[in-house]
Amino acid sequence: MSSRATFRQDSLQVFAHRLAICILAVAAVLTLDGIMHVLMAQTPFGGPRPGAEPQVGGIVGWILAKQSEFYREMSATIRATKSEGHAVWTLLAISFAYGIFHAAGPGHGKAVISSYLVANQETARRGIVLSFASALMQSLVAVLIVGIGAWLLNATAKSMCGAEKVIEIASYALIAAFGARLVWTKGGGFIRALQRPQLTPALALATAATHDHAGHGHDHHHHEHSHVHAQAHAHVAHHDHGHDHEDHGHDHAQASDHDHVHDEHCGHSHGPLPSELAGPGGWRRGFGAIFAVGLRPCSGAILVLVFALAQGLFWAGVAATFVMGLGTAITVAAIAVIAVSAKDLARRISGGGEGGGALFMRGVEFAAAGLVLLFGVGLLFGYLAAERVTCF
Amino acid sequence: MHGLLGLLLLAGALALGAGAAQAHPHVWVTATSEVIYAADGSITGVRHAWTFDDMFSTYALQGIESKTKNVYSHEELAPLAQTNVESLKEFGFFTFAKADGKKEKFQDPVDYFLEYKDSVLTLHFTLPLKTPVKPKELALEVFDPSFFVDFKLGDKDPVRLVGAPAACKVSLQRPNDGTVSAQKLGEQNFLNGDNSNFGAMFANKITVQCP
Repeated sequence: MSSRATFRQDSLQVFAHRLAICILAVAAVLTLDGIMHVLMAQTPFGGPRPGAEPQVGGIVGWILAKQSEFYREMSATIRATKSEGHAVWTLLAISFAYGIFHAAGPGHGKAVISSYLVANQETARRGIVLSFASALMQSLVAVLIVGIGAWLLNATAKSMCGAEKVIEIASYALIAAFGARLVWTKGGGFIRALQRPQLTPALALATAATHDHAGHGHDHHHHEHSHVHAQAHAHVAHHDHGHDHEDHGHDHAQASDHDHVHDEHCGHSHGPLPSELAGPGGWRRGFGAIFAVGLRPCSGAILVLVFALAQGLFWAGVAATFVMGLGTAITVAAIAVIAVSAKDLARRISGGGEGGGALFMRGVEFAAAGLVLLFGVGLLFGYLAAERVTCF
Repeated sequence: MHGLLGLLLLAGALALGAGAAQAHPHVWVTATSEVIYAADGSITGVRHAWTFDDMFSTYALQGIESKTKNVYSHEELAPLAQTNVESLKEFGFFTFAKADGKKEKFQDPVDYFLEYKDSVLTLHFTLPLKTPVKPKELALEVFDPSFFVDFKLGDKDPVRLVGAPAACKVSLQRPNDGTVSAQKLGEQNFLNGDNSNFGAMFANKITVQCP
C-alpha cells in the first residue's frame, strides 16, 4: 500500500511537471510569435528602421497584388459568362489561380494543418490528403451557406454574414481546442523524453497505478483501436521509424497490460506513433483537423457565389468555388509536404529515438502543437484581426 | 541541427506571415469626401460618399426586396443603409481625423442613405465631429487598418471643402504614389504584435491647411 502512495505522489509530480511545461511552452510560443513579427517587419517590407521607405513589394506584396487582380476579374468574367458561355473557362482559370495565390499568401488553414502535421508525426501523403479534404470542405461550406441562405431562403447578406460569423467562431474555437489537446498530448511526450533516462520505469508504473479507475471504459475502447492496429502494422513501423520504434516497443509492453490504457491520454500520439498513423484513430484525429479548419469558408468564395447567383449563374459560382478550393489545396499541400519533410530530415539527423535527439523531436512536436493552440486562441480573440469576417 | 531548426522556424514564419499579410481586400470602395465648415470657419464634420465595387454591391443587395427588378429606391435601401452605418461604427467608419496633431472623435453618422446606380451601391453619410475644431491643419485618413476594404479616392476632385474660408487648401496623398509616410508602417505596429495596422500603408491621406 505504501508503494501505491508513492506512485500516486509520483504521478502528481508528473502532472505538475507537465502542466508547468505546457505553460512554459505557451510562453515560448508567444515569444516565438513576437520574433516572427519582427521577422515579418524586416523581410517583406524592406527594412525595420523607421524612416525606411515602405515597399509593398517583395513576395508578399506581389502575392497580394495578384490575388486582388484575379479576384477583381471574377465579377467581370461572371457577367461575361451570361452572354458568352465559354467565358466560364476563363472564370475557372482565374478561380484556380486565385485559389493558389490566396493560399500562398496568408490564411490560417495551412498554418494550422502544417503545425498539426509536424506535431503529430504525420506522413507527407496524409498531409496532402488533409489539405485537399479541408479545402474541399471549405468550398462545400461556402456553397451550402449561399445555397441554403441566399438561394433557398433568400436571406439578406446581413443574416448570411451573421451565420458566417458564428461558423467562424466555432471553427476557431475548435482549432483552439484541438491545439490544446495536442499541447497536452505533446507535453506528455516531451516530459517523458525529458525524464526518460532516469525515470521511465517508475513513471510507467505510477501512471498505470493511478489511472486504472478513471475513465477506464472510454479509454479502453480507444485502446482496442490502436492496439489491434498496432499489430497489423507493426512491420510498417519497423521500416519507416526504426528509432521511434524503440519507445514504441516500450509503450507496447504496457499496452499488453490493460492498465496502460490511461496512457492514451498523454502518450497517445507519441508512443504508438507510426502504427497509429494510418490507423482509424489517426484518421479520426485527422478529420478533427479537417473539420476545424474547413468549417470556416472563405469570404471571397461567398461573395463570388452570391454574385453568381444574382446573375442567374449559380452553377458557375459553384464551379468557381470548387476550382478555387483545388488551387488552395495544391498550395496548402505543398507547404504541408515541406513542413513534414523538414521534420523528417530533422529526425533523421538528430538521431530520432535516442537521448537528446528524441528530446529535440519531442520539443519540436510540442512547439508545433503550441502553434496550433496559438492560432486557435489568436483567431478566436481577434489577435489575427485581419482574418475576421467583416459584415456591413 | 540548428540549421534544421532554422528551417522549421522558417516554415513557421511563412505560415505566420499569414498574419501580417493575411489582409487581402474583398471589398473595394471609391471614396469622395467633403469637409464641412460652419459659418465661423470651424470644421463640423465630414461627409462621405463611398461607392462599392459591383461584386460587393450585389452581395449587399442579396435578399433586399424591390418593386421593380434591379431598381432600388432610397426607402427600399434604408434598412441596408442602417445596417451599414451601424456596422461601420465598429471600425470607426474607417475615418481618422487629427486637428493640429490631436486626434478628433466623431459622433454617430447622420443623413445616411444608399443609392443604387449603374449596378453599384453608393453609401452617403455625414460624420459630425464630437466638437467642431478650427485647426491650422486637419489631417484626415480613410483606410481599413485590416485591409479587408480597399479604399481609393475618386479620380476627379475626390475631396471638397464646403463653406471653408477662402484661404484653405486641400492636398492629397494617395496610397500608391510612394509618398505614404513610412512611419505608419514602422516597426512599432509589428513589434507590438498587432498586425491590424497593415492597411495604414494603403491609407488615403487628406490634408487641409487653413493659415
